[in-house]
Amino acid sequence: MQKLFFILDVYDEYLVYFRTMRKFFTGAELVIECLKQENVKVIFGYPGGAVLPIYDELFKQNSIRHILVRHEQAAVHAAEGYSRSTGKTGVVLVTSGPGATNTVTGLADAMMDSIPIVCISGQVPTHMIGNDAFQEADIVGITRPCTKHNFLIKDVKKLPEVIHSGFNIASKGRPGPVLIDIPKDIQTFKTRYNGKKSLLKKLTYKPKVSSNHDHIEEAVKMISDSVRPMLYIGGGIINSGEKASKELLNLIQKTGFPFTQTLMGLGAAPTSHPNFLGMLGMHGTFEANQAMHKCDLLICVGARFDDRITGKVSGFSPNSKKIHIDIDPSSFNKSVNVDITLQGDLKVVLSKINKLLLKKKIKFSLEKYSDWFKLLSKWKKKNCLKFKNSESIIKPQFAIKRLDELTKHLNPFFTTEVGQHQMWAAQYLTFNKPRHWMTSGGLGTMGYGLPAAMGVQIAHRNALVIDVAGEASILMNIQEMSTLIQYRLPVKIFILNNHYMGMVRQWQELLHGNRLSESYMDSLPDFVKLAESFGAVGLRAKKPSDLDDMIKEMIRVKRPVIFDVWVDQKENCFPMIPSGSTHDQMLLGPDDKVDDAISEDGMVLV
Amino acid sequence: MNKNSNDHIISIMVDNEPGVLARVVGLFSGRGYNIQSLSVSEVDSDKFLSRITIVTSGTKVIIDQIKAQLLKLIPVHNLVDLSEESSFIGKELVLVKVENMKKNRKKTFDIANKFNVSILNDSKKELILEMVGTPIEITNFLKKIRPFGIIEITRSGLVSMSLGRDYIKKFI
Repeated sequence: MQKLFFILDVYDEYLVYFRTMRKFFTGAELVIECLKQENVKVIFGYPGGAVLPIYDELFKQNSIRHILVRHEQAAVHAAEGYSRSTGKTGVVLVTSGPGATNTVTGLADAMMDSIPIVCISGQVPTHMIGNDAFQEADIVGITRPCTKHNFLIKDVKKLPEVIHSGFNIASKGRPGPVLIDIPKDIQTFKTRYNGKKSLLKKLTYKPKVSSNHDHIEEAVKMISDSVRPMLYIGGGIINSGEKASKELLNLIQKTGFPFTQTLMGLGAAPTSHPNFLGMLGMHGTFEANQAMHKCDLLICVGARFDDRITGKVSGFSPNSKKIHIDIDPSSFNKSVNVDITLQGDLKVVLSKINKLLLKKKIKFSLEKYSDWFKLLSKWKKKNCLKFKNSESIIKPQFAIKRLDELTKHLNPFFTTEVGQHQMWAAQYLTFNKPRHWMTSGGLGTMGYGLPAAMGVQIAHRNALVIDVAGEASILMNIQEMSTLIQYRLPVKIFILNNHYMGMVRQWQELLHGNRLSESYMDSLPDFVKLAESFGAVGLRAKKPSDLDDMIKEMIRVKRPVIFDVWVDQKENCFPMIPSGSTHDQMLLGPDDKVDDAISEDGMVLV
Repeated sequence: MNKNSNDHIISIMVDNEPGVLARVVGLFSGRGYNIQSLSVSEVDSDKFLSRITIVTSGTKVIIDQIKAQLLKLIPVHNLVDLSEESSFIGKELVLVKVENMKKNRKKTFDIANKFNVSILNDSKKELILEMVGTPIEITNFLKKIRPFGIIEITRSGLVSMSLGRDYIKKFI
């Protein structure tokens, strides 16, 4: 049998070899050929002068589908949505100059959230580089700090090697965006190509995936010694893949440890699990943050002690030993010092820990942790996510809760924009599977949700994809409605419309004497008519009693929908750790005093 | 050699490709780290390797972060913190152009001899002196020669290597 596979393998290689060796490829043909070999099915892009040869090759083939966006930023976000919901690398194709500079926000977003993206940009011909040519921009220079790596191809012979390395770098280790800049003349020059296999030797990027065994032993000892343990889980689990989620769930089941998830990590383990304490951080739950503060062992799995999580670093989880598991060693001891660092792919490291726990027959009896669990349930009883509902006006929290309740059984994908609605979505939605929650965590990019939802829907044709949005954010990439219509993508846009940039206003109320400088959204469009003008369906709810029927209607319609939900304009997002405070100094609601809560040090923080 | 206890000498082996220096320097400026001196040149033309020597300073946390961030750069092969090696040599080259005045000539030559300085050019109006030494020796020499009228100075930045060869295996 093995012999047969070997023969098939060799045969396969020969096929590629014969198909490719007979002729010379142009650079543009090679781009397409290399993408095919990387098993790319979809690319998001926008044509222009400097990529016309590549678009010409796209036209001549059928195996790669091109999605024409309406703005290059949206192409990157769509590729991010595609990538985050499938685990594959997202691919973007744009032209030189403005086409390339428009991708910068998307690339920075993918960099911060560790999303594998390959962005191919056209460039002016090599002899014109540096001459301030029409539509020239030094995009390799511009994107150097916001990509994991970038390339400018100056020799067509290098093109296949660069594209395959690009995919290798984007997806291996801690994933991230890679930009490949291809001058127009290189796209027309010819060279030979012998398939990806012939280049494997040249793919030198091989990050370390497994961790030192002694450190794992030490970590296991800490785990068995602790009496107030806490798991702090980040997006790394989702990047590591389904197997990592399984190993994580194993660990939780075996130990019975309570866990919290970051904004990026939601869904890594089911949020309906009884040990789940809710999201942590600035708008995390009371119980999760209290547990972070009072635990004696903190196990950070694939997260990076971001400032939204830690609050004031000097007062962060003061009495705990800390274990940090991550694939990126630069995350270790960056903002918070830890006792043990385990570098490696999470699925590998977690499985080693699980095996060692089993081998050592460590018991996790309920009595050992009973005091800890009592504390946790006391904190849970605070019910920090409660809100005063209303008969006459839709509370945003209520809208999200109803949305969750009525869609849960359909296993929907959620994306968000950035602001209050994003936090409410994170707090009130249920995430029982990884890769079903796409939000701009690190960069906080308003306008992320709609194009990301577009990318998700391309990958999951028949799934329910909902962009939870605010009326301010949605206007930042509203042009993509046109893309939704063109490709018949039935994305649902659920706008919590409060006529304010809610999060900006919340901070102005809290920190700037309620002077609401430029945070009121005047002259908003009529979202129902806006939807109709694009050829989508528009819905509007103003009363709580309308909500359920209209959500059902939104799900029923097999076309793109903008659902404009008019919510309480005054509502703010709680609980909240004011900037510059620690986890045990939370504001639980609008009645909590904020005057003493925010120090002068906190004022300067974002 | 003597060194400030906070100073770290980081020697980095990188692919000699366009933009690699910009990546390293951009990392320092983008993340707010400090560069005291920098020197770079190709050292292996077969493998296209360049060696960068950076002198930087900071707390242990910052230095560790600098090293971790540098190692994340794709063209960086490896690096070594020479100031953490048990012993190492750090040298710098300076060229200095001074006024060639009769009344000072002898004194200048005396100092030059004392510091083992070569005279590269002896023209009517100027002298060009070359000295190789540790940064502190060079600074001392410049202090001595300053009263005679310095016209211009150029320094190469520190280049450095450790004694022995144990560290080379992990480095190259």
